[in-house]
Amino acid sequence: MQIYLPIAEISANFMTLIGMGGLVGFMSGMFGVGGGFLMTPLLIFIGIPPAVAVASEANQIVASSVSGGLAHWRRRAIDIRMGVILMSGGVAGSYAGVQLFKLLRALGQVDLLISSSYVIFLSVIGALMLRESLHAIRETRKGRPIRVRRPGQHSWILRLPLRMRFRQSRLYISIIPPLLIGFLVGMLSAIMGVGGGFIMVPAMIYLLRMPTNVVIGTSLFQIIFVTSAVTVLHAVENQTVDIVLAVLLMIGGVIGAQFGAIAGQRLRGEELRALLALIVLGVACKLMLDLVVEPAELFSIQRLEVGP
Amino acid sequence: MKTAVAFLAVIVLTVLCASSGMAQKAQANALVADLSKDQIRVASNFTGERILLFGAIEGTSPAGASDVVVVVRGPSENFTLRRKKRMAGIWVNAEARTLGPLPGYYAVASTRALADIAPVSERAKHQIGPKYLRFSLVSQTPEAATPPASPGDIALYHDSFVRIKSGQNLYSVDPSGVSIIADRLFRAELTLPSGLPFGTYITEFFLFEKGRVVGYQTGELSVTITGLEQWLRVTAHEMPLLYGLFGVFIAGLMGWGVAILFRRV
Repeated sequence: MQIYLPIAEISANFMTLIGMGGLVGFMSGMFGVGGGFLMTPLLIFIGIPPAVAVASEANQIVASSVSGGLAHWRRRAIDIRMGVILMSGGVAGSYAGVQLFKLLRALGQVDLLISSSYVIFLSVIGALMLRESLHAIRETRKGRPIRVRRPGQHSWILRLPLRMRFRQSRLYISIIPPLLIGFLVGMLSAIMGVGGGFIMVPAMIYLLRMPTNVVIGTSLFQIIFVTSAVTVLHAVENQTVDIVLAVLLMIGGVIGAQFGAIAGQRLRGEELRALLALIVLGVACKLMLDLVVEPAELFSIQRLEVGP
Repeated sequence: MKTAVAFLAVIVLTVLCASSGMAQKAQANALVADLSKDQIRVASNFTGERILLFGAIEGTSPAGASDVVVVVRGPSENFTLRRKKRMAGIWVNAEARTLGPLPGYYAVASTRALADIAPVSERAKHQIGPKYLRFSLVSQTPEAATPPASPGDIALYHDSFVRIKSGQNLYSVDPSGVSIIADRLFRAELTLPSGLPFGTYITEFFLFEKGRVVGYQTGELSVTITGLEQWLRVTAHEMPLLYGLFGVFIAGLMGWGVAILFRRV
């Protein structure tokens, strides 16, 4: 069954979209990741204009982060104060990201911005994840307990001025690093249509030294607001949010995530991560090839907005 | 069913024309035409629509001497075309030109190949065939780096435009799309694909004899978006802030609903 997407201006198969939402939802439930970094490339692969894919995916992530965030809220596993600081940086970053997006869109280079951001981030993260999980698998095979590597000291960053007490995280640190991290992730969110948990979570653990029990909840908490800001800003500046598309992805995503979470409990952590790393690298390769191999059609058409 | 009704209409039309003795037309040869539908509504389940264009030839010319050409043309817009070039190993949009005004949809159907029906001059005059659509280069492209266009460039861009549009089924040429029945009636069936631009379409019917237009009729067809899609589209473009907030609201509501639904105690 075909459904017309009013902003993307194309018809797409209803079941394909729900199915993709389900598949990515399943993987996000299984691996415990957001899934935006897989969904946006998939949408581009099926022919959704990249600018619409990014903005609509940000809209979908609002839904998944609200449902995920609420679960952590009930367990009181959110550092609200830290979340607000990260989010302030994040909203500023998303504004900057949307402006950059708008500028490059007018120049016809936004597709390149999206693809190259994906290639860079997916290959770096995929490679790091693969290395780490393979290492873990080897260690477990040898019967050695996995040592949790303590990161190097970054304490000078945390001792910058403008310190604040974060009771929930038992920290007394400068707000400059969280503001900057928030800004960077907000920008990525606007450009790539992701929540940015894959950057935010490691940054919180290794740079801000937050206790792991509040990391996921706080990350989700700030993602709700940052992706909301991204959605509204893209709607205002670029008119690229397709609500019909976003809602279909939400429906699929919700169902998929429930089954994914069940499946994830039956598989071993390291092997899961290695599998995810391979998927991430595969997507990065496909995007890279699309940039490097001579396209069949060298020309593209963009209708000029005949707006007021 | 629709086809049958349309055929009935054609027959009635012919009878009427014959009985009135074609007295109203000074021209010896002319045509009367209509279409099965003058309004296409695009809703969420729109996957394209077939329309029937039909009519009757009035006149006394010998059998087989007449050709009918049907043109359907969508609303005109300006289009920016970008050309990819390899730079530092990757393919990037390197050149851009804005062409326009050109119709967002263009279909021509005829009784035989256009080249056999009329000479180039006549086709160019009536803009029959994508090749003969008149347009100009619109200069205000944001890319300053694009060099000035040569005539060869303009042709290349125009050809590429037609090629891409044809690939999307938005431009079509069908040299056997019009059939003439009993030297009097003609009919053409056209499939309007999804992805149609919205607005007022012009339908044109040409009657050709010996390479010249001897009969002409024009009509209109409107393509509109309806229902929820229309509301979303209008809101997205005219009240973008409200639209964005609505998107966030829906997402928040769904996320919250799911959290309640799947709450594990």
